[in-house]
Amino acid sequence: MIYEEMTKQIREAAKRLLKEGAVDVILAYRGGGLNEMQVPFFVKKPEDAELIEWGDRCYQNLAPYVHGLNKKVGILAKPCDVRAIVQYITEFQIERDKVTIIGVDCIGMVDENGNARPGCSECRVHKPPVYDEYIRDERAANLPAIEPKAGETTLEENLERFQKEIDKCILCYSCRQACYGCYCKTCFIERDMPDWQPAEIDTGTKITFHMGRAMHLAGRCVDCGACEAACQSGVNVRYIIREVTKFIEDAYGYSAGMDAEEPPALLTNKFDDKEFGFLGGERHE
Amino acid sequence: MSEAAIKLTKGELEKMLAALMRDRTVFAPGSTGAKLEYLPVDDVSDIVFGDELPYKSPKDVFFPRCEKIVTFSENGAEAELPETQTVLFGARPCDLEALDMLKTILTQGKFKDPFFAARYENALIIGLACAEKKPGCFCDQRETDLDYSEKCDLFLRADGDKFEVLYVSDKGKKALGAHIPGLEQFKNTPREFRPAETLSLDAAEDDLFTKIDWEEITETCQSCGICTYVCPTCHCFMFKDVEEDDKAYRYRNWDSCMFPKFTLHASGHNPRAAKRERYRQRVAHKYVYIKENFGMTACTGCGRCIRSCPAGMSIKTVVEGIREELQ
Ligand code: SF4
Ligand code: SF4
Ligand code: SF4
Ligand code: SF4
Ligand code: SF4
Repeated sequence: MIYEEMTKQIREAAKRLLKEGAVDVILAYRGGGLNEMQVPFFVKKPEDAELIEWGDRCYQNLAPYVHGLNKKVGILAKPCDVRAIVQYITEFQIERDKVTIIGVDCIGMVDENGNARPGCSECRVHKPPVYDEYIRDERAANLPAIEPKAGETTLEENLERFQKEIDKCILCYSCRQACYGCYCKTCFIERDMPDWQPAEIDTGTKITFHMGRAMHLAGRCVDCGACEAACQSGVNVRYIIREVTKFIEDAYGYSAGMDAEEPPALLTNKFDDKEFGFLGGERHE
Repeated sequence: MSEAAIKLTKGELEKMLAALMRDRTVFAPGSTGAKLEYLPVDDVSDIVFGDELPYKSPKDVFFPRCEKIVTFSENGAEAELPETQTVLFGARPCDLEALDMLKTILTQGKFKDPFFAARYENALIIGLACAEKKPGCFCDQRETDLDYSEKCDLFLRADGDKFEVLYVSDKGKKALGAHIPGLEQFKNTPREFRPAETLSLDAAEDDLFTKIDWEEITETCQSCGICTYVCPTCHCFMFKDVEEDDKAYRYRNWDSCMFPKFTLHASGHNPRAAKRERYRQRVAHKYVYIKENFGMTACTGCGRCIRSCPAGMSIKTVVEGIREELQ
């Protein structure tokens, strides 16, 4: 019921924006996926807005589609999608006035078996931090607060777990392709000056890729879980990225994608910034 | 269809597999802790029986994700042909059809792949019928009988708590007979396969290039490539050479037409720079080019690409759309 009502409001907003010419295209969801999943949908005509569907299976993070799309775009955005868009803005990837955000409250998405999707069970942001249009879900106000699950394990436990996870990895790079933050034209792992990716697809290559990726997402991950969901091999390296996120939060008080005016942690350098030694070296408080 | 058959209990089947493990590497459905995959197993209790389909095809038993193929030294180049004797257990009819296609493409065309050929030669292939279609499967529209395939050495069907074992090849008969004599025999009555209306493309390449709006079709594709990695018939690869000490090695790794660098030339030019061009290659290769070259459509309808796609794309829907468009 609630989703039907929200869907109606979303369709109306989408129709209006397209009719007014405020946007050329709206990124949203429609039904028709396997196992009743709701799949990404590019709405270009006002009448097609009737096909938009909103529910608890709108899993895909739509933000990556905005990157590189040279159009006036509207996006139906869950809080994690909004945070990704905000990161694009603060990282100078898109301009604020080129994107219309239809922000929607989100109480979490489920998979085909009704289980919480990766990311959703630990999600701490249920309301879009930035928006142009707002679709409310009363239930989002009363969700229990969740403490970030990171920093609980020792370095040794982490290493062991990491090994177990990457054993399953087949290095297909789908996780990277699904991530809003991995927008480099050429990923470091595909560079050959220097050659980051040795010929042999072995543990070493996997460590290089996953650790490199985690570092490049420092203070940028918006916890959408798209990487873990895209991985067909069932690899969860997102927990490593979460450790890095927690570190950035503790050290610099910065959370990704919450404020379009705030420069990201990796793009700021202040004289009184704490500096930490790399790989367990000396710390300078 | 093979008429000679025996029935085994699960215990007897496990004994047979355990016996095979003594001198062969057995690949069978096993759990990685997260997913079901064809894995090398050395204990029958690690094998997962049942109707669940492993998320990725068993093609890497014959065509691994990464393999060292040539060593270069002062004495010249030396190819390392694989010698391990293997068993592939539990390959589904769609996988068996696909393996047969790979065999045709990789060993009967203009070029021969000695590595694939050696692995195929060294393998005992045991097929397993699917009890039912899974979400996304469209094998019946792709001329694949989920209940039987003769592209293997032995073929199994679960029947209550027993397994019907059909002898398909002499190799299979020898392997089975050698290990467990005196089992319940029965005469297999072939079941009739009623395929659904076949989904194929009779399109001219020109029409595919000019009359289809690939931009629209692929707007949600993320170029992640997982559709090609899980696909049983995709077989693109690339080489990479590395130097170590005073030797050099050539590796062969999987490639995918979904990757942005798939056909990037040394000059910097890329004839398939956009994902619409790359996805067109995927569909056209499977449904048109391989048909022109080998007389078969290289899609068995296993549905793996559809189940895996993070963006909810479906090659079946796309091909159906093209058929409608070009009518
Ligand atoms: S973690 Fe998963 S999605 Fe990422 S490269 Fe490895 S197998 Fe692919
Ligand atoms: S790393 Fe994973 S969870 Fe974080 S933003 Fe990227 S896709 Fe989302
Ligand atoms: S294209 Fe898709 S459905 Fe066809 S064989 Fe490959 S994975 Fe299976
Ligand atoms: S060109 Fe694409 S579709 Fe064809 S075999 Fe290679 S990866 Fe598969
Ligand atoms: S799996 Fe889907 S998103 Fe990924 S490359 Fe294939 S069609 Fe595109």
